[in-house]
Amino acid sequence: MRDLFRGKLVRLTFEEPEARAKAEVRWQRDTEFHRLADSDPAQMVSEKKLKEWFEKQSEIGFKPERYPFSVRTLADDRHIAFFALWLDLIHSEAWVGIGIGEREFWGKGYGTDMMKLGLQYAFTELNVQRVSLGLHEYNPRALRSYEKAGFRMEGRTRQDLMREGKHYDSLWMGILREEWIQMQGGDLNE
Amino acid sequence: MNDILKGELVRLSALDPDEFGKAFSRWHRDSEFMRFLDMSPTQLQSQKGIQKSLEDDLEKQKSDKHWFTIRALSDDKLLGDIDLSIYNWTGRDAFVGLGIGERDFWGKGYGTDVMKVILRYAFTEVNLQRVTLNVFEYNPRAVRAYEKTGFRHEGRLRQFLNREGKRWDMLFMGILRHEWMEQNEQ
Repeated sequence: MRDLFRGKLVRLTFEEPEARAKAEVRWQRDTEFHRLADSDPAQMVSEKKLKEWFEKQSEIGFKPERYPFSVRTLADDRHIAFFALWLDLIHSEAWVGIGIGEREFWGKGYGTDMMKLGLQYAFTELNVQRVSLGLHEYNPRALRSYEKAGFRMEGRTRQDLMREGKHYDSLWMGILREEWIQMQGGDLNE
Repeated sequence: MNDILKGELVRLSALDPDEFGKAFSRWHRDSEFMRFLDMSPTQLQSQKGIQKSLEDDLEKQKSDKHWFTIRALSDDKLLGDIDLSIYNWTGRDAFVGLGIGERDFWGKGYGTDVMKVILRYAFTEVNLQRVTLNVFEYNPRAVRAYEKTGFRHEGRLRQFLNREGKRWDMLFMGILRHEWMEQNEQ
């Protein structure tokens, strides 16, 4: 059977709230990371608050709607990113979000590898019919990576972002179950 | 100045949880209406429960949600509700959600009229940069009304929903401030 947690460059992990908060507070001080990760105004977060939040999340434990992971490199076991899937149980579709906090791992195929693991998990473990994601127009590196993983462009919300005084679009991408199965070489039962 | 809460067929009115709760619990029994409204599985709920959640929502209502009921100008009948929810202040973008519960008022221009009123409110009162909405593929009547109001198609999430054993797309549409301004110059 496939190893769901291991790709070519990275593996999915669970990081303890303390370690996770420590790393992510550091990533949040990078305003470029901030702007690539979401469309909220860049703000600093308290490490204590973030740790409490992760603790609360892990106390809630398993929820069928959400699948959060952290990511480590296979080569030297460095904690470099977060990764999460959110599932709509009724309509069998999922949203995916990733963020690579360690800059030296940008543009080197780590995101693509992570996303491939995410899609494998979504389609073979959560058994969804489609996976969606959103990104910003000013993030062409992410766009290329998502295309490589098999996502297709589905639309753009025109000029809903303003960064550095300029308007940008939000982009929306998706991949269907049959498209992903095609990429794996066809029928999974054979 | 114009009465910005009034259109040609309808006007916006303050939401009275008591009145709206009664009407909404009646509309709630119409599963077709509920399927146009959102993605959740249609459920039945007590009038008391509906009223309670309306009151809670109104209590929490802040500057980022503008929520009205819709009335016919002809006889003041309560037809439905509409809300403008600003989810992105830095981009000045809001989501609009419209529900006309009274079936007699479907397909007769009421939706288009109320959408025109809310866009004028959005662009001249709240001073937004754009307005966004989602609509399901199986609701072509709504799509036509939104197109008539000036919304443009911006994308579709393919096979996003599962209804009656089939998969359907979710469409999203938007209108920019300058597009609305050009359309309403006089």
